[in-house]
Amino acid sequence: MKLNRIQTAVFAGALALAAWPLVAPAPRSEFDLAAFARLPILEGGRVKPMDSFARSAMLSMRSKQTVPVDGKSLPPARWLLDAMFKPEAADTYPSFVVDDPEVLGLLGLDQGKTRYFAYWQLEGKRDEITNQAMAADKIESGRRTRFQKAVLALSSRLSLYESVKNTFMVSGQGDPVMEMAAFSSLLPAAMKAFHGKKPTDKDRRVMAALSEMLQRYNFLAQSAAFKAIPPKEGAPADDWTNTGEALGNPTRGQDPHPSLASFALMGRAYRAGDAAAFNAALAEHAAWVARYRPEAARSARAETLFNRSSPFVSGMALYLTALLLVFAAWATRREDVAAASRALALAAFVVHSLGLLAHSVLQGRPPVTNLYSSAVFVGWAAAALGLFAERMHKKGFAVAGACAIGFITLIIAHHLKSSGDTMEMMRAVLDSNFWLATHVVTITIGYSSTYLAGMLGIAWVARRHLLAKPDPAASKALSDLAYGVIAFSLFFSFIGTVLGGIWADQSWGRFWGWDPKENGALLIVLWNAIILHARWGGYARERGIMLMAIFGNIIVSLSWFGVNMLGIGLHSYGFMDSAFLWLSAFCASQLVLMFLGALPPRFWAEHRKEA
Amino acid sequence: MRRNDPLSRIVDGLSSLKLTLVCLSLLMVLVVACTLAQVNLGIHLAVDRYIRSFLVWYVPEGTSLRIPVFPGGGLAGGLLLLNLVLAQFRRLELSWRKAGLWTVHIGLALLFVGEFATAVLQVESNMAIEEGQTKSFSEDYRRMEVVVTDATDKEFDEETAIPDSRLKAAREISDPALPFKLVVRAYHENAQLSMGGAPSGATAGVGAGMSVAPRHPVTADGEQNTAVALVEPVLKDGRSLGVYLLSNGLGAPQGFIHEGRSWKLALRLRQYRHPFSLTLKDFKHDRYPGTNIPKNFSSLVRLKDPAAGDDRDVLIYMNSPLRHGGLTFYQASFGKDDTLSVLQVVRNPAWTLPYVSCVLVALGLLWHFGLMLKKSLGARNS
Repeated sequence: MKLNRIQTAVFAGALALAAWPLVAPAPRSEFDLAAFARLPILEGGRVKPMDSFARSAMLSMRSKQTVPVDGKSLPPARWLLDAMFKPEAADTYPSFVVDDPEVLGLLGLDQGKTRYFAYWQLEGKRDEITNQAMAADKIESGRRTRFQKAVLALSSRLSLYESVKNTFMVSGQGDPVMEMAAFSSLLPAAMKAFHGKKPTDKDRRVMAALSEMLQRYNFLAQSAAFKAIPPKEGAPADDWTNTGEALGNPTRGQDPHPSLASFALMGRAYRAGDAAAFNAALAEHAAWVARYRPEAARSARAETLFNRSSPFVSGMALYLTALLLVFAAWATRREDVAAASRALALAAFVVHSLGLLAHSVLQGRPPVTNLYSSAVFVGWAAAALGLFAERMHKKGFAVAGACAIGFITLIIAHHLKSSGDTMEMMRAVLDSNFWLATHVVTITIGYSSTYLAGMLGIAWVARRHLLAKPDPAASKALSDLAYGVIAFSLFFSFIGTVLGGIWADQSWGRFWGWDPKENGALLIVLWNAIILHARWGGYARERGIMLMAIFGNIIVSLSWFGVNMLGIGLHSYGFMDSAFLWLSAFCASQLVLMFLGALPPRFWAEHRKEA
Repeated sequence: MRRNDPLSRIVDGLSSLKLTLVCLSLLMVLVVACTLAQVNLGIHLAVDRYIRSFLVWYVPEGTSLRIPVFPGGGLAGGLLLLNLVLAQFRRLELSWRKAGLWTVHIGLALLFVGEFATAVLQVESNMAIEEGQTKSFSEDYRRMEVVVTDATDKEFDEETAIPDSRLKAAREISDPALPFKLVVRAYHENAQLSMGGAPSGATAGVGAGMSVAPRHPVTADGEQNTAVALVEPVLKDGRSLGVYLLSNGLGAPQGFIHEGRSWKLALRLRQYRHPFSLTLKDFKHDRYPGTNIPKNFSSLVRLKDPAAGDDRDVLIYMNSPLRHGGLTFYQASFGKDDTLSVLQVVRNPAWTLPYVSCVLVALGLLWHFGLMLKKSLGARNS
């Protein structure tokens, strides 16, 4: 579309706003938090920056990426540093969200005042939580009660926090630099004593001291939350270690990894509040990484930048604003407002696209790999289709649908983020870029377009009940648009479904297994086919098509999320309980909309006024 | 003008768009029901009950009543296929404008035929090989067979296999290779065996002191039935050699000697022999670094097929099966500390149909919707 002056201004302004987090000055701190945040580590099977780990740990523990301390919000990297090096401080931060009243009762905590609690408040009942969680763990996941799920979740959050505390040093005890020095000085004597024939008393003392240290490192090796020591020069790229592993093997200890000393110095300086020393040690480690593991440093830096820019959050805000502008344009009937809304929607789409592209490139995968990225992609494809469809009927309907779906799916994605790493590694059978790119992308486009058709249906119903002055031409345009979108949707959902069958034939030896996810996809195909045949046969006219399109929303949602809640089948990835309530509410709302649409014309706005 | 005789009216009805809609709706209901039923029934039984049946039956608990309550997938799908074919010739003219729809519908018909052929023709089995082992047969976890072996010759076993379908249907089984016939006293698809208790009726072999408690057959993935057969070898002159209790839950085969020949009886998973062999050279289970998330499973096998002149290494891994001799071998599972690999073996002569269908439908829909889009854009521009 050609942009006029207002549109150009809106478009450029929106992009500038979205880019702001990238250029905004970092919060003032003497410690070089930014450099720390982009240090690469190995966790969850892939190299990622400290920043990503800290964010997703915060998200999974307290459902937010920051934690408020003394009236200020602590950024994730700062929280991570505190937890690792100053756990006595971090233990007092309200890092855990506890919602379940029965769990609160178990812990003897007041409900009502706050949902967030600090580790020290929970520590006293740690054994009780562990016991309850172990009991709950024995029960099949589908049959657990609300309390059992909540206590399991709390227990795993506590374990995560405890492993963070024990990543570099045992809960912040001792001075890591002294410890390293003692270990290095003890080691040669101890090795000699071990190999010597008749140990003297001194030898025995040395050996006892060393074995105590080794026990500690063994504990660290087991408990560490991630591996921060990069492979040495010439070692395989996957050969990352944690502090305990790097120290615990005496043969390694004889020639300690230079980064061990850097982290020890960082730890001591951070505990002492010595920013200059911390920054110096950090710079030394960063320089080592940049020199010997440049690819890890590069990808971690890029991912940190992506995290900071949070394109999907900006996109969400832009979509919402654009949607409100469309409403304003309809209310005021002003063409300039409508034009501005289109420009803003386009800006939102551009931000969304850049985010999607960056996420894909960072992960090195096609855009859809898990539930999170499917939500991002469903919104993106619906927005793309909506913006294209708007060119055919310039009434704002398609743009409104695009913005609404973009906004809602990005919110869904935002909430799915707390279930873990959004760039998680693909399990063996899914590890196929070819099929992810063909089957998964095609089927997801099918979801998007079915949703867009459903949105158009909702717009049609809303107009019936809100507009006093009938506009048959606009209704006709809506219905034509919906028809085109449904045809598009049938194409993609059918091809996507059959490609899925072919993938299954390649990996399991059966083209079609009647697995829940396959059935869900088939339902979308069948439903779209029913709508089109009903239209061709003349059994459904404008209103029928629109109501059926709304029902499509329910079918796609059940196929997308509902089958995951069955907890069975080869495709079930991630069981989400709270999502079940939302899904039911959404389906109910769609049924209400269909009911409103099905009411006889005397209930419509145009007739109500006459009465 | 259409004729109005009863036959034309039936054909009209069968080719009507209304029937299309009814069948599509029925299929939707069945698919939903089948999906929900999987939670309790397991995938195989749910599919058998709702999809691969002509009628869905309601069986009230504790009765032998079977009340048909809903058309099954076979009926709805079959009607839809008939409807598709008839409508094609009756309503759709043969023109470039409709060429897309023709292609789509032919593709769909192929897909239906393919799924039907799969349901009838597909045979699934498993081949579990340990590293270093060579196998030329696969086993079917869902079917059983009683095998009678002439083990007189130490070098070579002469096997006679009797599939469970015959054991269920026949009272007596004779085979020209055997000097006796087998009387089937009882056959249980699934049962619990225990020592002592009510006697099972077995008079010879290890089963003599055992009791048998029949159970409902299990169907869920990963569950295994313990089938039990009570068979009695009876000589030509009517003399009984004793009643044997055979089960795949028992270990070694049981035997007797008759006229100087050593015979062995056993009940085991049904085996399919293949004219070629696979040797597992190496099984690999790769994980992502520092985690237990599986990255890949792969089996390096040596394929030897003298008839086809094959003697080569093949790597079977996720999404990359071996197709040989009308069979397809997939990496399915593993065990014994990653030294055992389980391959799924599928014979499905109709496996190419979905590929053809997918291409046809894609092209047809592109053609049809492309024409429509062009028309719609043309109308707007003029």
